[in-house]
Amino acid sequence: MFRIKSPQDLGAAAVFMAIGLAGIYFGHDLTFGTAARMGPGYFPVILSWIIVAIGVIVGIKALTIEGPGIEPIQLRPILIIILAILAFGYLIDRAGLAITAVLLTVLAAFARRDVNLVEAILLGVCLAIFAVVVFVYGLSQPFSAWWGR
Amino acid sequence: MEFDLIQNLATGFGAAATLKNLGFAFLGCLLGTLIGVLPGIGPIPTIAMLLPITFGLDPLSSLVMLAGIYYGAQYGGSTTSILVNIPGEAASIVTTIDGHEMAKQGRAGAALGVAALGSFFAGCVGTVFIAAFGPPLAAVAQQFNSPDYFSLMVLGLVTAVILAHGSVIKAVGMVLVGLLLGLVGTDVNSGLTRYTFGVSAIWDRIDFVPLVIGLFGIVEIIRNLEQTTLPRPQLRARMRELWPSRQDIASSWPAVLRGTGLGSLLGILPGGGPVLAAFASYTLEKKVAKDPTRFGKGAIEGVAGPEAANNAAAQTSFIPLLTLGLPSNAIMALMMGAMIIQGIQPGAAVMTNRPDLFWGMVASMWIGNLMLLVINLPLIGIWVRLLSVPYRLLYPAILLFCVIGIYSTNTSSAELVLCAVFAVFGYILLRFGCEPAPLVLGFILGPLMEENLRRSLVISRGDPMVFIERPISAILLATTVVVVFALIVLPQFRRTRKEAFQE
Repeated sequence: MFRIKSPQDLGAAAVFMAIGLAGIYFGHDLTFGTAARMGPGYFPVILSWIIVAIGVIVGIKALTIEGPGIEPIQLRPILIIILAILAFGYLIDRAGLAITAVLLTVLAAFARRDVNLVEAILLGVCLAIFAVVVFVYGLSQPFSAWWGR
Repeated sequence: MEFDLIQNLATGFGAAATLKNLGFAFLGCLLGTLIGVLPGIGPIPTIAMLLPITFGLDPLSSLVMLAGIYYGAQYGGSTTSILVNIPGEAASIVTTIDGHEMAKQGRAGAALGVAALGSFFAGCVGTVFIAAFGPPLAAVAQQFNSPDYFSLMVLGLVTAVILAHGSVIKAVGMVLVGLLLGLVGTDVNSGLTRYTFGVSAIWDRIDFVPLVIGLFGIVEIIRNLEQTTLPRPQLRARMRELWPSRQDIASSWPAVLRGTGLGSLLGILPGGGPVLAAFASYTLEKKVAKDPTRFGKGAIEGVAGPEAANNAAAQTSFIPLLTLGLPSNAIMALMMGAMIIQGIQPGAAVMTNRPDLFWGMVASMWIGNLMLLVINLPLIGIWVRLLSVPYRLLYPAILLFCVIGIYSTNTSSAELVLCAVFAVFGYILLRFGCEPAPLVLGFILGPLMEENLRRSLVISRGDPMVFIERPISAILLATTVVVVFALIVLPQFRRTRKEAFQE
């Protein structure tokens, strides 16, 4: 029926519409109020409707105007980096900055295909020393260098 | 008036020239140069990473340092553009065209010298610009009421979108999504929480630091990792002498003047800033040149103009933030975030309530520019050697500093989950051709816009005509309409916009 002429725009349209519809749906419980007495739902719900409208316009554009395709997504970098961030969040309270920094560095090294484990561990140790000296002792940031404190 | 200016600047230099603030200015400039030189990390994630560290500093020191990073990056970016054809920073992309060509001809020293001196000159003029235009603009801003502020933000966001990179309609969508995200959390007026889904980390509001680091810092790392072959620097340039010849100076000073003027103006515009200024200046130099074919083959004007322009714009883009409280690009949104964290609401009141802060920052910019000249010219060799650090050693370090920055905002692991969510979100949006910068502008302005809309409509008892009846607001809205109209109707404007962003 329709031919997708710009996959990028179609994706963007879907994201906008999803966000807009979510904004309207979850804004339902908030009091809307009137213009003179704006409730907490007034501005966000109006915004959400405009976002949906933008989504529709971008969607129409996707079906009528040629545009670039979506570059293939490589799973390895994004998965490993996200995992590393979450691992840091999980470990930092439990293991302290020194160990967490080494583990983060080693884990992050796996985001590339050719992993040099020795190099990654060495780098991790250097970065951990630097981070502990600068952030824990130098800037007295709220970190403990080691576990249990 | 002139006496005022001198006295104000004296206040500023008094505040900025303390040993502590000089130290922070130096640190900022050094860091700025470093990230300007290194491709793969720009000023936005760096400033975001350092925001939590600035919590403990006094406001002036933290702003002096953050500003130093911003304009320091403009200097550092040009060095690698010229020597190894890798723009360390978006605003230096055009510098590669003629700058690297000059380096290949053995004139790297001249190009570097002209870039640094041109930047210094432009930085000085930019600083004077802020000092001269800040107070009158702030005086205007003091006449502003809620409806005027609302209209100002509409104008600011619309022009920011039009001058931004990429599709206009998608940028509008991103601004709106940003506004909506800015409203998540507790509504100050009713005390109710909105869109929090019971997650306590966003009970108050979504924190700025994980959002920005996720959208810019982390996404940038992932994108770099996806490229199988990262550009390898090859230093082929021979450096005979650092100083440009008399003939080089003769042919580049008019370009520096034009670049400075253009950059100063484009910096003030919402959505403007160093990147736009550099591109526009290059186009202008090509147009006014007697022999445009020299461009791309090592024309010194093609280095002098854009380098002056990007530095001038970096300075003057502080004007709307400091006088009107309106951030004109993503970096200014970060500076605004830094000020709010320090308990300072940016705007005209800063100048009257905290003159030391305003003038201290202005003075520090001039001092910083002088420092940059010293950091850059004699130490170029060291900066270039940094480039040989391979990315596989660099990105784990960048990642580590990002997560440390996020964690220290609130000492909470939930912020890291938030950052991961925004990284995935930003990555998907980028795949769909949506730039994250407009979202950040919307995010920081969301609560302000709602508050001013609410107040305006309370005053007018719900009548939207209030935005047209007040003269200041009417003028701002009329300007907005003209800008949008120009974009839709004038095909020539559209074409120029397209050309300006072509690399």
